[in-house]
Amino acid sequence: MGDTLSWLIAGPFMYLAVIVFVAATLKKVITIASMPRHLRWDLYPIAHEGPAGSVFQKVEFWKQPRHVSLAHELAEMAEEIFLLKRTFLHNRRMWNFSYPMHAGFYLVIGWIGLVKFGAIMELITGLKISGASTAFWAQALNLATVVAGAVGLAIGLYGCLGLLWMRYTDEDLKGYSSPVTFLNLYLLIALFGVGLAAWLIEDPSFVLARGYAVSLYTFKPIALPPMMTLEVLLFGIFLIYLPFSRMLHFAAKYFFYHNIMWDDEPVVAGGGLDKTIGGYLHYKAQWSAPHLKSGDSWLEQATTNPAKPKEEGK
Amino acid sequence: MKHKVSHKDIAKPAEVLCPLAVTDLDPVPGHEEKPFKPAKADWKEKYDLSLDGFSALALTPPATKEAEEELVNKFLRGLEKLFSQESNWTFMQPTSLSTDYCVRCNTCNDACPVYVESGRQDIYRPNYRSELLRKIYQRYFTPEGRLLGSFVGADVELNWRTIYRLAELTYRCTICRRCAATCPVGVDNGLMNRELRKIFSQELGIAAEGVHKGGTMRHLQTGSTTGMTPAAFLDTIEFIEDDIEERIGRRIKIPIDKKGADVLLIHNAGEYVSWPENPAAFAILLDAAGIDWTLSSESMGYEGVNYGTWYDDFQFARVAVAQVQAAKKLGVRRIVVGECGHATKALVEIADRVCVGELAIPREGCLPLLEQIVTSGAIKFDPAKNNFPVTLHDPCNMVRLMGIVSPQRNVLKAITPPGCFREMPNAGIMNYCCGGGSGFAVMNSMNFPEWRDSVASRMKAKQVLEAFKDCLDPSIPKYYCAPCSNCKGAARDALMEYYGFRDKYNIIYGGLVELMVNAMVDIEKPFISWEDEF
Repeated sequence: MGDTLSWLIAGPFMYLAVIVFVAATLKKVITIASMPRHLRWDLYPIAHEGPAGSVFQKVEFWKQPRHVSLAHELAEMAEEIFLLKRTFLHNRRMWNFSYPMHAGFYLVIGWIGLVKFGAIMELITGLKISGASTAFWAQALNLATVVAGAVGLAIGLYGCLGLLWMRYTDEDLKGYSSPVTFLNLYLLIALFGVGLAAWLIEDPSFVLARGYAVSLYTFKPIALPPMMTLEVLLFGIFLIYLPFSRMLHFAAKYFFYHNIMWDDEPVVAGGGLDKTIGGYLHYKAQWSAPHLKSGDSWLEQATTNPAKPKEEGK
Repeated sequence: MKHKVSHKDIAKPAEVLCPLAVTDLDPVPGHEEKPFKPAKADWKEKYDLSLDGFSALALTPPATKEAEEELVNKFLRGLEKLFSQESNWTFMQPTSLSTDYCVRCNTCNDACPVYVESGRQDIYRPNYRSELLRKIYQRYFTPEGRLLGSFVGADVELNWRTIYRLAELTYRCTICRRCAATCPVGVDNGLMNRELRKIFSQELGIAAEGVHKGGTMRHLQTGSTTGMTPAAFLDTIEFIEDDIEERIGRRIKIPIDKKGADVLLIHNAGEYVSWPENPAAFAILLDAAGIDWTLSSESMGYEGVNYGTWYDDFQFARVAVAQVQAAKKLGVRRIVVGECGHATKALVEIADRVCVGELAIPREGCLPLLEQIVTSGAIKFDPAKNNFPVTLHDPCNMVRLMGIVSPQRNVLKAITPPGCFREMPNAGIMNYCCGGGSGFAVMNSMNFPEWRDSVASRMKAKQVLEAFKDCLDPSIPKYYCAPCSNCKGAARDALMEYYGFRDKYNIIYGGLVELMVNAMVDIEKPFISWEDEF
């Protein structure tokens, strides 16, 4: 019975979780991406403009070539993603816990990648990856996997516990912490904590984890020991829940930066954006304040003067 | 004293939810606080002052249960439209993202000068009103809110008190977006505040009188928010020509309605009324630099403001379209917006996706042009003529929201002697609002100005004091340079009047062009004076 349940969780449930996660995340991302282009709402500095800064600082800026530096954008994004720059600069107290939590995630994601890579290598080479492997690359891969997994789980747990402590004790944060905020944190604590326990108790060199990955790849799922089964269950729940929670901010953040703060694409006469906006102007707006006419198009509304102008000179 | 107010409290009966007192505020060095004037008895009887004891909107509570129900229903209909592609394509994506992905870390709080200077009152947190919007939206429009209620935070009751207090609260934020610049995720509470204002304006017909009835509506009716008609505008220009002659000893003919000019200059018309020396200085500079320019006497063509920027997408579009049409009529090559932050952002940046097709005429702010005048050598300047301490205010709209940081600094460095120009703390992108942003500078109803001057401008007062801390002695004349009309309005009402900087410290305020003309070699008499009343 135990093995069957473990097999159900580690196999069918995990496949389902991955499918739900991918499908729901894609749906969310597509929904956001397909929303209309909004009016410009820039916030400076815009990373891709580089050290020269805003084009608005130039006389007749429209004659200047638009400076879009992918390198500057990537550098700013890397600082924000990997160092949580804004939190570091403006909320150091929270960064002390938020950074370990996020770094824990990154390391665990890296660990999953290493486990999967190891699994593929085992499939290809037939060599078992462990600390006792004869091949140097296998030993190195094993060491990297252990370090990434152990450190990631440990600092992730530390960060989540710290954030939980802040939410319970900080008077300012209490008013902004609904039960679901705590649920999210408890779920993450369980995820990191059980993962850490499973590593310590059942799979210190992640040999079982690698074997589990192989089983998933070959569609021959296996039953796992109790702690690992629980961890897989929690991970599956996390994957299913993630796209429907505010934790999807990791994906939304891309749109906040690229599509809002850094969206400085000018309208060029006859260009794609010009035509797109021209299309929006035919939308029927339904607002019903006295100075508006519900059901009229944006174009009609924008060219209507609700305050009859006085004739010149009168 | 900190008045603890939860989100749920917004709906509860209370004479005043957050009874703000001057003793709650963060002290300003050297400023003797006077207690707030008590609200008039008839105001208390007639209007809802239950948020913080102040009123920007003069809202009358509904008289019947039916009227309250209608108010609630209208609010909900408006809220729903914020998330509709057809009704809100203009800002649907940013609104949806900021609604769904705030992680409630409160990082934004300390970025807000209103929150910090109020003594960190809960109701002024930049995310307080956004969170209310989210809670109401969740409760009425999302499956999880309907099913799980308070578990997911959908715990705010919606009644007339909630709506009126929320309406007032939207006019306690200057939409400076300093909070957005600190948010780790990118959530924009300034935008959320503006979206809430849109519900009130576009659905319920509620907006501050200074921005709507006395703002965009008057603008569309008369051609200017000042009420200045084209005929009155022409009279004003004649007066400015006389004034210029008196100041510099020669008459300049200000070009009006010059067809096909290179530059159509559009000022905030408030300059003509309150600070005519500013358009005068522009005229002197452009004339001396040999620029082919003109003003327009066409209705809407001589008024650069666009108060719709702060509260209503349709009023914004109407004003922007009419301004551009006036320029098209003259056949000018480009529009240059004078020293007005929001007008520059509105016409140059936001209107870029409104004035499309045939209306896409090139538009830019004036600061790069002023820099070009200085660096081109077209006019000779003698920095020694500006031998007094100068500090620079960064208008949020031009600096944080358009990235125009260096031109004004390059001008100041070129026209002041070494050591005279000093930055204030947090200068540049992270500068603080003057306190007059988002319409506050033109909102003068009931007791709102007292709140504005004492709370919203308080951080600016501290910044100015810090910039001049080594020369506060009134025997040293000092210049607070604010290249923005609304920021000058805030300087006049708050810094000079409320905090008494002119009398106490001999600080005067003005624009950038006045300093430039003051440094012109060809002009003998000083253009700036500490004796004259600007």
